[in-house]
Parts: sequence; structure tokens; C-alpha cells
Amino acid sequence: MVICSHCQAQQLDGTIFCTVCGASLLSAKPQRQTTASLNRAAAETAQAEVDEATILPAPTPAPETNTIALIVLSSGRRIVLPVTPELLIGRKDQQRNFFPDVDLSLDGGYDAGVSRQHARIICRDGSYLLEDLGSSNGTFLNRQRIAPRRPVELHHGDEIQLGMLLVRFEMNG
Amino acid sequence: MSKVDLRITPSRSVLPASQEPQLLYALIELSAQSGATKMPRLPLNLCLVIDRSSSMRGERLQQVKQAAMQILDLLGDHESFALVTFNDRAEVVVPAQLARARAEIKRQISAIEAAGGTEMATGLALGVQELQRAMMPRAIHRLLLLTDGRTYGDEGRCVEIARRAQARGIGITALGIGSEWNEDLLETIAARENSRTHYITSAAEITKIFTAEVERMHNIFAQDVQLRVTLPPQGLLRSLDRVRPYIVPLPTIEEAEFVWTAALGDWPESDAQALLMEIVVPPLPVGRHTMLRLQLRYRVPGSEGTTANHEQNLVVGVRNPDEVASEVDPTVKHWLERLVAYRLQASAWQAAEEGKLEEATRRLQMAGTRLFEAGEIELARTVQEEATRLLRSGQASAEGRKRIKYGTRGLIGREEQL
Repeated sequence: MVICSHCQAQQLDGTIFCTVCGASLLSAKPQRQTTASLNRAAAETAQAEVDEATILPAPTPAPETNTIALIVLSSGRRIVLPVTPELLIGRKDQQRNFFPDVDLSLDGGYDAGVSRQHARIICRDGSYLLEDLGSSNGTFLNRQRIAPRRPVELHHGDEIQLGMLLVRFEMNG
Repeated sequence: MSKVDLRITPSRSVLPASQEPQLLYALIELSAQSGATKMPRLPLNLCLVIDRSSSMRGERLQQVKQAAMQILDLLGDHESFALVTFNDRAEVVVPAQLARARAEIKRQISAIEAAGGTEMATGLALGVQELQRAMMPRAIHRLLLLTDGRTYGDEGRCVEIARRAQARGIGITALGIGSEWNEDLLETIAARENSRTHYITSAAEITKIFTAEVERMHNIFAQDVQLRVTLPPQGLLRSLDRVRPYIVPLPTIEEAEFVWTAALGDWPESDAQALLMEIVVPPLPVGRHTMLRLQLRYRVPGSEGTTANHEQNLVVGVRNPDEVASEVDPTVKHWLERLVAYRLQASAWQAAEEGKLEEATRRLQMAGTRLFEAGEIELARTVQEEATRLLRSGQASAEGRKRIKYGTRGLIGREEQL
């Protein structure tokens, strides 16, 4: 018996895709494990991206002058973010001690093809820019794929797609 | 004279010995060696049943008429042709007849005009009647239905008429065009052997799809194909689906203990077929075991009572778990991934209908992920867009829904594979 790391359903040994939620059971180790370690195993076997494991300082809660928010459409999760010069979006990797400012691993980021270092939001002179960091599955702004390493301007209500995961960008002035 | 290749690929060629049952997937590829149909073919007994409601006016009806005339030219002198139209009522435009008085038949076709509403059941009933009137005991009987709208109130009758016809050996190809027709109804109508449904996205495709359908019927080289699956004691056939040329679940009957049968219908030579089965393997000791015995049996058209048989076994090794790699066959995984996407979207629409929008969205998104990984990038994006729309507005778009339903089955954008 294996346990699906995505929905915790019991599945027969040898199952490739969970019959309940459809998630892949392949990247998980075949032995019985806790879901936490399954997730980690999944993260380890992710595409061979070169992670420099840049450790960013934890964002300091800025005084409530200004915030921006990312709303993950699939889970409905609203991530309120303090305004800092740079916000890294990706998936955390505990093994390598890598924690992006916005961790999408809880929102099915792995299955949706979000890279560990996927994109970043840059704040400059009160305006916001989105930059793809050479992610495996691309970043899309309002359904247009943006070129890697070329920051583009963000506006309130814009749709950002990271791999297959859709989030909305909001500015709360 | 029958040349059929039967190939079984398991998801894993070596299984770990286990005290528990485990799941094994098997891809079964059936292909006809070219030339299998170099034999007298059965004549076609064809009836077109055409929606001529006012929404068909213009290019759609124009294309349909052209397609009907081209089909007529594809038929031989000994084949039967009929055409029925329907709007608020139904009418036999071309009574069943041998395809001979072609100029006269074409004149009748060109006089068809669009007007009125959509009432499908009477049209279907008249079409079936014309097919039976042709009195061709040994022929391929087919009804080709084309609609662009919803029929109101007579859906139940449509399905009843279709089932009666199918029970008498008439296959139905149900074609929907545009975004307004009821895909649930067409899918139900076509959910029998020798029947299929297709989504036509633009009027320009009508002729191509109509003629491709007639060509498929012209190269049927095996009829009433029956598949028999024998598993080891305590084994279980969990599911059987056709994945090529398009995805469709195949009903199975447990004929005897550990023996299942499925009817695959007629087989056009041009269709490379693939089936995917999920087998629950009982605990087995280390050694080599026959996991699956397949028997394929069919009638050879045009020859009195001749049947052909093919048999193939799958032998899989069972070893100590630490000697077994966990890799799975990439081809099996690819088709399984597409099948899972199809199942996920089907259950998503079900959830949406029950008002469970978040569940529906989650399922659609997972379907998108599966399609994305199977390399169906464009379809994955359509799924993603509809998932977002569903979550925001509580409803998917009619067109997006159709594109996803038919796209995940492999029924649009792959005409070249027909």
C-alpha cells in the first residue's frame, strides 16, 4: 500500500497516478513514508535545475505603509507581502535550506511545475516588476509568456502564471 | 489472410514479490498490417441525418451540402445512400436508394434550406427507418448525425431510438458543430460499439470529417471484434479503456472466474488501436508468471462465417523487492497520463454540476498538470483557463467545456491520425 502525498488516499503498490486525485505517485519513494518526507523526496527528484541555494534574509515586516498580495486561484490562498526591494517566488527546499519569500509548495506547486527559484517581484520607485528566473516551465503575465531575466511591469489585478499555477497580483495602496 | 499485430507492454516488466496485491498496467496495441483489407469489402448502407434549424444557415449548411455530395461520389453503385433533415419536424429528402441517380440526388441535396428549431428524435427515427428500408442483409450500416443545437424535451427518445438501432447493428456517428449543442446527449448516443462522437470546430472541417468517416467504414477488415482477457487466479481486471484512436471506456463482462470479455466492434484498417488495462495482481512467489492471456476473435467481412483468432500472453518475472527497479515504461505512462486527464475532467464536470466548484477546479487543475506532462501544452492551458473561469464565475464556457471533453479524448485536432 502507498499513500498519495497529495490527498492521503491509500493506493495499491504499483499505482502510477492516484485514483482519487490524479497526482503522480512516481516521484515519491515506493516505501511507506510520512507525507512530509514524501514531499521532500518529490522536491529532490525535481527537474535538474541548478539551484545556487541563495539564502535570502527573511523578509522583515515593514511598517504598514504599503502591501501587495498574491492570490493563488486554485487554493484561494491570499499571500499578503510586505513591500521589499525584491520578493522571490518558488518552492521551498528544506534539504538545501532554501526558503523563497513566497513558497508555493503548499499550493500544489510541485505538480504545477513551479521551479524552486521561479520568478521574483522587484519593487522600484513605487512600481512593481516581474522577472522570470529561468524557470523550467515558464512565467506568463496575462497569458503571455515573458522572457527569462527580462523584468516586465506589473499592474493591479494582473494574472501571473507560474508553470501551470495561476495567481493574481493585487496592490493595496 | 488476417494480419494483425498484437503487442502487450506492461508498466513494469519485473514485479517485486509482495504479500499484498499490486497494480500492473498493460498497454495493448493492435494494428493491422497494411493490405489486410485487400479483400472484397462490404457495401455501405449510409444515412445522413442533418440538422437544418435556422442556426445552420449560411456556411455551415453550405458545407454540409457539399460534404453530402462528396460522400455520394465516394460511394459505389452497389451502396445505399439516404438523407434526412430535421428542424421542428423531420423529412426524408433522399429516400434510401443505391447511389446511382447521382445528379438527381445532388439536386435534392442542394434544395435543402435552413429554418426553424431543433427536434432531433424524429430525425433520428426517420434515419433509422431509411437504413432498414434499404434491405441490405450484409452491409455496414451507419447513421451520420450532424447538429449544431440543443434538442429540447426529446433527449430521452433520442437515446432510446439510438439504442434500438445499435442493437440491430446500426452504428451511429454523432457530430456536433459550434458551441451550443448538448455534448452529454451526443456522448450518450455514441456510447456503444461502432458508434462515436466528434466535435467539429469550424464549418471548413465538415467535408474532411464526413469523408474521413466514410473512408474508415470502407476499410473495415474485421467485424464484431471480441477481446477475451484471462488473469491468474485471484487476479482482477480493474478497468479497460480504449486510448487510441481516441479515449473511451470499454465495458467488460466477467464471463467466468478470472475471465473477462469486451466487445470492440468493427475495426477499420486505418485505425491503430491501443487499449489500456489496470490489473490487480495477487501476491505471487518469486518466479516467472503468466499475468495475462489475451484472445482476439473477429469475423472476416464478406466471407461466410469465417472467423480469425489471435492470441498473446504476457509473462512477467517476480523477484525480491531489492532487485527490482522502480522505473515504469514511458509509453504506458504517457497513455495512462492522458487517460487520467480524461477521467479527471469528466469527474470535474460532475462535481461542477453538483455545485462543488472548488472540487471541480482542483480536478481540472490536476487534469491540466497531467496534460502538461503528457506534452499536450495547448490543451493544458485551455483546461487551466476554464478552471480559473469556473472558480471565478461558477461556470465554464460552453466552448471550453467541449474543447476539454473532446480534446482530452483525442477527438479534436488529430484528423491526420484518423
